Amino acid sequence: MLLAIRELQIPVLAAMLIGGCAAKAWQAWRSRSVAAGMGATGLFPLRLRRPVMIAIFGTEFGLGVGLVVTGGQAGTALPAASVRTATAIFFLIAVGALQEARQRRPDIGCGCFGELSETPIGLRTVVRSGLLCVSALGTIGAPPLRMPASSTQAEFWLAVLAAEVTLMAFLSPELGEILVRLGYSEPCELRRLPVRRTLAALHTSSQWRRYSGQVTAPAPVDVWREGCWRFVVYPGLTRGRRVDIVFAVYLQARRPPIRAAVLDPATNEVLGRPEPAGLPLSR
Amino acid sequence: MRHLADIPRWCEDVTDSAGPARFARRSRLKAAVLGRRNEPDPSAPAVADGSAAALVYTVTGRIVDASPNLLVLSTDQGEQRFPLAAATKAWRGGPVSPAALRHGDHVIVRRSLPGGPVVDRIWAEVGRVTGTIIEREGPVTLLVDEGPAKGRKIVIIGARATGRIQVRFPLLEPGYLIDVIGLKHEGFLQALIPATSQPPYRADRPPTPPLISGHVPDPVNGTAVWHEPGEEPQGLLGLAYPALDPETSCERVGPAPPSCSGDLHAVDPHTTGPGCVRLPYLSVGSMLRLRNDCTGRIRLLPVTGCGATARLFCDRCVTCGTSQKGRIADLTMAAFVELGGALETGCFNATMTIGG
Repeated sequence: MLLAIRELQIPVLAAMLIGGCAAKAWQAWRSRSVAAGMGATGLFPLRLRRPVMIAIFGTEFGLGVGLVVTGGQAGTALPAASVRTATAIFFLIAVGALQEARQRRPDIGCGCFGELSETPIGLRTVVRSGLLCVSALGTIGAPPLRMPASSTQAEFWLAVLAAEVTLMAFLSPELGEILVRLGYSEPCELRRLPVRRTLAALHTSSQWRRYSGQVTAPAPVDVWREGCWRFVVYPGLTRGRRVDIVFAVYLQARRPPIRAAVLDPATNEVLGRPEPAGLPLSR
Repeated sequence: MRHLADIPRWCEDVTDSAGPARFARRSRLKAAVLGRRNEPDPSAPAVADGSAAALVYTVTGRIVDASPNLLVLSTDQGEQRFPLAAATKAWRGGPVSPAALRHGDHVIVRRSLPGGPVVDRIWAEVGRVTGTIIEREGPVTLLVDEGPAKGRKIVIIGARATGRIQVRFPLLEPGYLIDVIGLKHEGFLQALIPATSQPPYRADRPPTPPLISGHVPDPVNGTAVWHEPGEEPQGLLGLAYPALDPETSCERVGPAPPSCSGDLHAVDPHTTGPGCVRLPYLSVGSMLRLRNDCTGRIRLLPVTGCGATARLFCDRCVTCGTSQKGRIADLTMAAFVELGGALETGCFNATMTIGG
């Protein structure tokens, strides 16, 4: 059983290293700056941050590929043992660097997975590097990777893999960020919506038909937005009395809820009680 | 039938003479149309027209006389006298004795108790510049663009402060961000204190903001900073909000064409994305409840201006613990002091509730 666990560490370590490397490359490409995902390199003087970042990137890539390439060799062979030892040393240094960064720069993320790792470095991140160091040590001397001999063994490997992935997920603050990105749709309070569309929706609504006869100006005197609601104020006249007619239009593409109220422009007294909106500001 | 072509632009120009009354009325109109009875009363304790009536801790004015035991200020309400306690601290480029303050200095003071006579903090001629460096002349003179709403300022880094500032702002080059606090002089700021650590990216390339799962959390946590009044009234109690509705606010004002070489480095914060904290779109006049997490003090504040430059700074405040990343409010000096902030610190960890 222990042997199976040791063998599984090679693909897990390779996936973590290459994944981290790819996330850093993606962030550098998007921001056109190698130093953008600074992370623990913030401990170094400014002139060294870029070369240190490149060195980390190159090391991760080299170790990740090296683990895959030498996976078919026994851990006692020189290339495989070298790569696995270097991986253990890499994660050991990472533990020290993360702990130091956590003390000296509590405001920065580790940058381990590029822009996904912007949460300030916590104990979980340090423990994760420590566990990866231990698992890299465990691969030294492990036999070559092979396919499972039986379905029972395959099921056992899958169970071990699932347990390890769960543990890594628990230790990874990046997981929450990934889940958010997968199921994302912009909430209404963050969505840009032209005033023209709001007015077009208003002018085809039953609320507009009810009050349009009282409106005395071709254009609103005030328009503003709060979260998911846009408010439109028209001057009006009701039984010879000057009034302000206020419309609240919910910012959704189709058939938005619309409320209206008539107020005295001088005293702001509500002339007729509007129905409660039912929808909170941001929903 | 109304024609869409007739729709005017409602640029939220807070200097518009009809503006303050219009903005102050919005909360009441919103409460009326949405039928909510628990909306904050916009007439108290804070109003958007800049009235200083709601200030209970803070007084602004010019020094008429300063002695170890008494401070005499010329304020909007006339000459006011404030007894000084032995523990009263004064700042004028650094900690000084209250008696060292000069006649004519512009000061902002904080009372020990709400409305009480005794003063516990005094800041004299304190200023701040926050924005993008667009020109550098020699090692210590910078021209900084504070965004379309605030314009440009000259910053001169004092000889004694150079090391201290360069530790936190290693890239004093055009295109990079700066945020410094110091002494105001005629036409320039003498920078003395770094207000944050310099973000490692260029001002025109801030990081992509994290996505929101569901709706924007309410309340939202982050950093609250302060800005100089500029054209605002000195005692204005309010805040510049980083996410004004782009359809009806200052974002509608187009960028000016480049007229000097520094313009090439100027960054319009409205074009660089929403910043590193996602905030719901609001408008001038919207009411927010802001809590200083370091002192526990809470105030209801109106949005009084555009704070888009705050979006460029993806930093954290470490005044009391580490805040969430991103600036959520750029307070007026009076509001910052009213909430218990220390101006020379530059920020406090804040919790903001939309709609009060």
